[in-house]
Amino acid sequence: MSKPKLSIAERREENWGWFMVAPTIIGLCVLNIWPFIQTIYTSFCHHEGFGHYKFIGIQNYIDMFSSGEFWKATWNTVWFCFLTVPVGVILALFVAMLLNTKVKFKGGFRTIFFLPLVCAPAAVAMVWQWIFNGEYGILNQLLNTKIQWITNPKTAIVAVAIVSVWSSVGYDAVLLLAGLQNIPKTLYEANSIDGAGRVRQFFTITLPMISPTMFSVLIMRLMSSMKVYDLIYMMSDDTNPAMADMQSLMYLFYRSSFVAGDRGYGSAIVIWTVGLILLVTLIQFWGQKKWVTYDI
Amino acid sequence: MKKIPRMMAAVLALVMLLSLAGCGSSDGKTHLSFQIWDTNQRPGMEAMCAAYTAQHPDVVIDVQVVSWGEYWTKLEAAAESNTLPDIFWMHTNQLLYYADFGMLADVTNLYDDVESGYYQNHFSEISLGNISGSDGRYYGVPKDKDVGVLVYNKEMFDAAGVPYPDDDWTWDDLQEASQKIHDATGNYGYMAHMDDQLGYWSYLYANGGYALTADRTTCGYDQPGGKEAFTFYINMQKENWCPDQTFFTQNGAGSTFWSERGAMFQEGSWSLLSAIEDYPELRGKWDIAKLPKAPNPVHTEESLDVDGRACMSNGLCYSTGAHNKRLDVVLDVIKFFGTEEANIIQGNSGAAIPAYLGTEESWRTAFEQFGSPINLDIIFDSFDFAVQVPFNSASPRWKSQVADVLSQIYAGNQEVSSGLDKMAEVVNYETARKLAGN
Repeated sequence: MSKPKLSIAERREENWGWFMVAPTIIGLCVLNIWPFIQTIYTSFCHHEGFGHYKFIGIQNYIDMFSSGEFWKATWNTVWFCFLTVPVGVILALFVAMLLNTKVKFKGGFRTIFFLPLVCAPAAVAMVWQWIFNGEYGILNQLLNTKIQWITNPKTAIVAVAIVSVWSSVGYDAVLLLAGLQNIPKTLYEANSIDGAGRVRQFFTITLPMISPTMFSVLIMRLMSSMKVYDLIYMMSDDTNPAMADMQSLMYLFYRSSFVAGDRGYGSAIVIWTVGLILLVTLIQFWGQKKWVTYDI
Repeated sequence: MKKIPRMMAAVLALVMLLSLAGCGSSDGKTHLSFQIWDTNQRPGMEAMCAAYTAQHPDVVIDVQVVSWGEYWTKLEAAAESNTLPDIFWMHTNQLLYYADFGMLADVTNLYDDVESGYYQNHFSEISLGNISGSDGRYYGVPKDKDVGVLVYNKEMFDAAGVPYPDDDWTWDDLQEASQKIHDATGNYGYMAHMDDQLGYWSYLYANGGYALTADRTTCGYDQPGGKEAFTFYINMQKENWCPDQTFFTQNGAGSTFWSERGAMFQEGSWSLLSAIEDYPELRGKWDIAKLPKAPNPVHTEESLDVDGRACMSNGLCYSTGAHNKRLDVVLDVIKFFGTEEANIIQGNSGAAIPAYLGTEESWRTAFEQFGSPINLDIIFDSFDFAVQVPFNSASPRWKSQVADVLSQIYAGNQEVSSGLDKMAEVVNYETARKLAGN
């Protein structure tokens, strides 16, 4: 089969097309794809220092899979996703629905919920660090407890999850709100004429109608939860006795690559994380057929 | 029509080239960058640079502060891409790693035209140890030196009726005083937090233990002197007068002391001036003392002869990249930084105790404006039993792994003795791996 011959005008148009997307494609190749290929190669190397690598085969992966710290970090990451994604998305939906009703100062509320996203993550983590402080923290004062939120192995990751949900709920809510406002009012009217109550309306109209938005919010939230790093970096440090119980894969990667300088091992952790995200995303795309409605 | 995109591309390329050229200096002067990590020392460093540029008006030096947390990540990336700052502070933890890779300019012969044996004549042995690469050449000009001292709150000692720490204080006295202060005032006594240079290392060496053997190949954490010192130091957190590690992670020992909730902690000499400046209401309420002695130090072949007393000392140096494009100018600046004149400027500013022998006392000047509220003699006396902060070329590799095991000990998931064996194993493994060249 031969390609249909293009006229000069068509070819010129095609060239223009390439010219227009070139900045993006070049950027993608230079900043994403090439580093990714390099990371794969690096994961089979030992980093001797200052960019000198020595090929050592799958030794990094052997070390990694036989390390308890690594499996612990993997589990921490999964547990963190479990703590943040369902709660975060349900909370965001709840907030979005509240903001979609007729309340006073709606604009003000929307701004307030969106505010955490505008704040620098470092500042957010610093403030929460003080809220969680075991001695002087306001949270313990309010609950009248003496929990060492950040340094107790059981609560440390929960504390990070709370901050994560707090800072992401506004953004997700705004996305879901847009989805909610796209639902034609006539559907609800018809439905209530048929005698459906509020709860039934939610399950038969609202949920199916915003399921595409829900789906993209879920995917984004899951990906960012799997890559959690900044909050842990800001809220804790190496002297924290609970570090082993709260460090995520990305934090372990940071410590291996940039603190200990073992970039080969760090790259292996990254490749494992990418694989994990890929797997979860594939499952989600496969699963969406069961619950996401794209047409009325 | 077809000509236009080409024309546009050509114009665009030209504009970009021009803007690139704009990055170069336009005033005909040599612009040098000087990277440091301590904001408190910035005025002192700038004063030194000003003294140099006063004599060399064609040079402009820009002091940049990068926080300690990012300093080494950034510096390594810069070294890899050959864009190192023109001058930068070098730390003993990292010097061997950089020097052995040929990243730093060799400055051994920098002062040959001034005086033979300049380094040996004007700097201490510890300072020279801090600038030597594995090949024995010098890769930096010594900047300063420091020691750790015991900082204590006089009011709390008075309230508990305990005499202030003196030269004969031992670990037992430290514990006894802590208990009494806690009982009398409800405040914490000595705050033994997880830290090497300002924590367990001085106890380790005081007790006849060692972190690394003299040839820097083998770790001594698992030796009797080491185990005893670590056990003592770590177990202090089990006493009711010492907060535990979960507390220290959230509230540093320093901030607890300065908020008058703890009576004693170990602090580095480099922080004292800023403490006086930052806590005006506490001036006169606190003082410094020598670190307490080990009551029964263990003596082995590797023990340093310090008679149960030790404090850790470290020093920074000024380095430059081996491939710097303006090496002649940069080396001239660094050469000036190592002179008596520059060291006195540094000392007077209170930035740090100068490394140049004989200029140390200039550091006192900065304290005079506050009426010398603390006994600075303690610091100068402490250099008599100071021990070089231990490091080897694999330090960056083993440091974080040792911290991992240690935090497991503090968390109670790992027994002290077996944990120390593990820590020594990590250090020995990484060191051997580094020495074997892979």
